[in-house]
Amino acid sequence: MPVRVVESSAPSQVSGANSGKTSPPACTLLSVGQAFSGTQNVSSIQKDEAWRVNVRIQGCDLEHGYLCGTMEALNVPMADTPVVTFWEGEIVDTINYTFFTGKWEATPEDDKKHWDKFPSFSPFKGQVEFDGGKNLDLSNYPYIFMRWKEQYFVNVGTDCGLTIAGFYYVCFSCSDGSISGFYYDPNSSPFQKLELKSTNGERSGFSFSSYELQ
Amino acid sequence: MPTPASPSASASSSHRRASSDLMVRIGSADSEIKLRALRELKNQIIGNRTKKLFFLKLGAVPAVSCALAEAQAQAQADLLVQSAAALGSFACGFDAGVRAVLDSGAFSNLIALLSFPDDKVVDAGARSLRMIYQSKLAPKYDFLQEKNMEFLLSLLNSENETVTGLGASIIIHSCETVVEQKALCHAGVLKKLTSLLEGSPSQKDASLESLATIIKKNPEAASKFVSESRRALSSVIDLSKDRNPRTRLLACMCLIVIRNTSPYYLQEIGIKTKLVYLLLELLDDPGQVGEEASFAFSSLLAQKEDLQKLAFEANAIDKLHNHLQKHLLQPRRYQGILLALAELCSKLESCRSRFFYLEVLNLVADALTHEVADVRTAACICLRSVSRSIKSLSAGCFMKEMIVIPLVRLLHDPSTSVQVAALGAVSNIVVDFTTAKSTFLQCGGLKLLVQLSKSMDPILRLNALWGLRNLMFLADKTCKKGIFFELTAPSLSSLICDPEPSVQEQALALVRNLVDGCLDSIEYVFAEDGIILDAIGRQLQSTSKAEIGIQGMYVLSNIASGNEFHKEAVMHQLLLHVNNGTQAFILKFLQSNDSQLRTATIWTIINLTFPSSPGASSRVVKLRNAGIVSQIKTMVNDPCVDVKLRVRTALGQFMTIGDGST
Repeated sequence: MPVRVVESSAPSQVSGANSGKTSPPACTLLSVGQAFSGTQNVSSIQKDEAWRVNVRIQGCDLEHGYLCGTMEALNVPMADTPVVTFWEGEIVDTINYTFFTGKWEATPEDDKKHWDKFPSFSPFKGQVEFDGGKNLDLSNYPYIFMRWKEQYFVNVGTDCGLTIAGFYYVCFSCSDGSISGFYYDPNSSPFQKLELKSTNGERSGFSFSSYELQ
Repeated sequence: MPTPASPSASASSSHRRASSDLMVRIGSADSEIKLRALRELKNQIIGNRTKKLFFLKLGAVPAVSCALAEAQAQAQADLLVQSAAALGSFACGFDAGVRAVLDSGAFSNLIALLSFPDDKVVDAGARSLRMIYQSKLAPKYDFLQEKNMEFLLSLLNSENETVTGLGASIIIHSCETVVEQKALCHAGVLKKLTSLLEGSPSQKDASLESLATIIKKNPEAASKFVSESRRALSSVIDLSKDRNPRTRLLACMCLIVIRNTSPYYLQEIGIKTKLVYLLLELLDDPGQVGEEASFAFSSLLAQKEDLQKLAFEANAIDKLHNHLQKHLLQPRRYQGILLALAELCSKLESCRSRFFYLEVLNLVADALTHEVADVRTAACICLRSVSRSIKSLSAGCFMKEMIVIPLVRLLHDPSTSVQVAALGAVSNIVVDFTTAKSTFLQCGGLKLLVQLSKSMDPILRLNALWGLRNLMFLADKTCKKGIFFELTAPSLSSLICDPEPSVQEQALALVRNLVDGCLDSIEYVFAEDGIILDAIGRQLQSTSKAEIGIQGMYVLSNIASGNEFHKEAVMHQLLLHVNNGTQAFILKFLQSNDSQLRTATIWTIINLTFPSSPGASSRVVKLRNAGIVSQIKTMVNDPCVDVKLRVRTALGQFMTIGDGST
């Protein structure tokens, strides 16, 4: 017998009575060891181009709004091997981080322009414009907004002719584990789109590994 | 044929003669001779450990004790003072001396001196007893006996500062339990000690240390101390600025105890910052104060992210690094600095970044091979702390021979505490996200971890298994094969059923990682007639602990993401208990209060009914017949978002597969 699914995933304002946990929900698809693959569009006026990209989550600390992992770009024209970078993420949880970046040469205008590109951001638009969205309760929202900043090259030197100066505005869907993002670097082509899907290789299903630091 | 004695042999024998003569004089019936002999003995042994040992072997302590008893019987004040002082000197900082004094029966005689009418005798007795109470060997004082408490109060109320100091020493030595702390508070000891904060330098020190002993981990005592007198807390704060470094240190330690005991006091940023700077300054003291300051600093920072941040801003990493660079560090100082670094780097990445920037890691690696076990343990604890940096793990900062070789060696250290600390560091380091896990295997680390996972000591077993579980995380085929064949299927299945629940959890987490990744790896759980999978099924059916259920269900979920054979094997385990009258664990887990357990269980269902798998439809029917589908339908509005979303996925799959009744 089919049952009706109650839609209760609309964002809400934190009220006085509900001022407990406001950060985004824990999501198994965004846990350590999880892998994603897809593309990053690096097209310029001269030509259309997309690099294949693999991402692996290596660390997740929701209490501090922290996420990290590696990003592997596969068909980079100027590199002989896939280029792997280590990135660290800020989870927009209104506790540790808000929608406003406040660094990496991103102005509030840049922030709004990029967040606006995610359809799932639209319910927050007004509130973010009003007060930066600092009172939003994201704990029941099925999307997680993040910024990913590459920190270093893992397998190539800094003289590889590539740059990691910019960062990504990222939106993760807790429902299916898909990730979309936009690369921001004032010196690169604007709005390079990153599109990733949760991947489990040859398996017919999802697999989860785990480690625990002492 | 007799030969001439060498000059040194001659000197030695004359020394021995003189000492024997001294012993004879101590036993003299002439009180003048006896007095001079006692004074001479005392002067010879003061601050001289070798001499103390020498006279101890000659039987000097019983002789002096006898002199004390005789003098007491005849009320000879001078003899009493000298014999008590000599016994105190034997006991001062020398445990063998304390034992000899206690064995000689002098303890009760020394106590009796405190009631002597002559102040000099009282002072000598109190001084001597203080020396004894500074040793762990001193007898425990029973505060719960009324007359003992009265006696203690009489000591604290004395006009003589040595006697009040003795009272404080008794508290510091013997107050260990909450009941004892309460008894002391109830008797008004806090008030008395607070008044002594205004006393002489030695009374201040004694009072600070006693207060810390009574307040430690006792919020009631902390609150009583702060509220009883307005001046109490501010007096301690004032003493943290005292001229004497030892007083400053003791005041800091007392403030830290109050702060760590009660969340209501000393939370202001000003006092927190002051404590950080004071202790960093005290670290520079070349003596015992400097040594102890590092331990006080650790207790200030323990579990407190805000204080760790303040310490970082006060350049604590740089400062500790400077100390660590000094040559010939005393072991206690070395240990203290390493532990302080460990606390400082336990939570904040900014601290760890500075640690790596200053290349402190090389100095910590040196400490791993130090001759003193406490230093080796501290080095491992420090390494464990900094290896919580995923950024550094990902950069392969630890999988280097400089670290791995000495660390692996410590896994068979004769000291269990070193082994446990080394396992803590190993567990983190083997997470290593680079492809260098093989470095650890090549150094013999795997063999040792497996050996320790079979230890009789549950702490070693747990930590070794923890290391193996992390080593297995995202390991490549070769590494997995190496771990599995070293560990073997029978061992693994018995670890899953270990008497310790924490060991069971780690064993299941290890298997979860084993069957993740490459599809072939699932086959490992079917080795030896599937003893591992059977053990998991039995454990899941019998456990009442959510943590064990979570790891076990992820093992089943990972297996269920494999081929048809794998999925059917999981179905067999899930439905094994459905028809035998007991509640199947899967239903129990779906109804659990633990959202992570519900999530893991739903993932198993999602994998079993994955639409592209051929047997999905028949499995849905079986799950429905077992009441599992209807249970899942009740969870569409689960309070946990992750569970709710997975339930939707599962229900969507049931619909896609469809048999007309979903």
